[in-house]
Amino acid sequence: MEIEFTLNDQQIATDAPPDITLLALLRDHLSLTGTKEGCEIGECGACSVILDGRVINSCMVLAPQVAGRSVITIEGVRGAGGGPNDMQENFIDYGAVQCGFCIPGVIMAGEALLTHNPRPTREEIRWALAGNLCRCTGYQQIVDAIEATAQGRANGADNPGDHGEG
Amino acid sequence: MARFDYVRANSLHDAIQLLNDPGMVSKPLAGGTDILVYIRQEEPWFDRLVDISRLPEPIIVERDGTQIYLGAGVTFAEATRSELLNQTAPLLVDACRSVGSPQIRNLGTLGGNVINAAPCADSLPPLVCLDAVAHIRSPEGERQVPVSQLVTGPNRSEVKAGELLTHFSFATPPAGVRSTFIKLGRRNAQSIARLSMAAMGRTNAQNVVDFARLTPGAATPRTERFREVEARLLDQQLTEELLVAAGEQATATMLEVTGRRWSTEYKELAIRALAERALRRVLHNGHGAC
Ligand code: FES
Ligand code: FES
Repeated sequence: MEIEFTLNDQQIATDAPPDITLLALLRDHLSLTGTKEGCEIGECGACSVILDGRVINSCMVLAPQVAGRSVITIEGVRGAGGGPNDMQENFIDYGAVQCGFCIPGVIMAGEALLTHNPRPTREEIRWALAGNLCRCTGYQQIVDAIEATAQGRANGADNPGDHGEG
Repeated sequence: MARFDYVRANSLHDAIQLLNDPGMVSKPLAGGTDILVYIRQEEPWFDRLVDISRLPEPIIVERDGTQIYLGAGVTFAEATRSELLNQTAPLLVDACRSVGSPQIRNLGTLGGNVINAAPCADSLPPLVCLDAVAHIRSPEGERQVPVSQLVTGPNRSEVKAGELLTHFSFATPPAGVRSTFIKLGRRNAQSIARLSMAAMGRTNAQNVVDFARLTPGAATPRTERFREVEARLLDQQLTEELLVAAGEQATATMLEVTGRRWSTEYKELAIRALAERALRRVLHNGHGAC
């Protein structure tokens, strides 16, 4: 069936079977493989994307459900010049990335958090990451990186990129 | 070949009609968090999902006089943000907040949580504790069923094929009544059903209990108010002994229903402790020593 929606701020129309997940639509039909496939039962957060401004698991949404809505994936998170945005830079600087598998999902959760709560406490950052499992880092550096991003944005140092919802 | 079809309902009327299309088994799709897990593991038993998540006339959370109306499509996250629910039903907000992750809270709905009736459905004990009523629509009209009777056991609800749960309603709790919801953490209770406890209560100026309700989750097959516990508390002076006695009664009531089984040794201790803790939280008001 034909599915029309806004993907990373671009209007798109694509043909897909009605019984696949948004995750499969992104990865297998649109070749956007930044969104990762982990558990596929809503527990790991590797597949996190932002749907109409809120972070969700793309393995828990049926592809046709996004018709007429806005989806932001990790491919839509970038700095003004097309490279990493401030949060992604901070993840690198703070050593928050090890194998990297969980990171696209973690970034989406982090961006969604800062959209709705620009100055979160460390506790609130941890709470916002409750749905993202990371086997490598122990979360400490991830929390540091998100905290630094919030601080940076509050100081107006580094504006968020052109990824819409943030 | 797709394993099932998908259609989006454009109105409540449309949804009811689609759900009752002859010659085809249809199932409503709201938040999707249960169905998507299901279709990954099993062959779907339905021919078509009817997407009801974007009806133009959804009930969010509204007050009408003393009644609160709560749409079945309200997500856990929306419930958590609702000022009206924070004022009138903090126990339900606590329960919604305790749901796994932000990602799931943004998708999962209260209606779906109740209808799918997982033994650990977090919103069920608070809704039962509030004496909430479910409003169910079919081509014949609307029927109303108390939530406590709607869910008859683990994964079994009274909603029939072709029917749609549209919303819940409950009476605003009397002034001064406090409420809470506590859940045992997943890791502590990994291999055992996740116990939880919903409680409402109030003591008067003489420190006498004049409102008490207690609803344990996942302790008994049906989620119900433990009326023996409530009776044990009502009109009594609030003391430490009373809370202990109420906790013991909670365990006794559970055993009456379930009998002893493999998990009882754990559950009887846990239920007593949870009941005591929840009741202390809602009843302790600074009037007395307790
Ligand atoms: S792949 Fe979606 S939550 Fe794990
Ligand atoms: S960096 Fe490896 S899972 Fe998070």
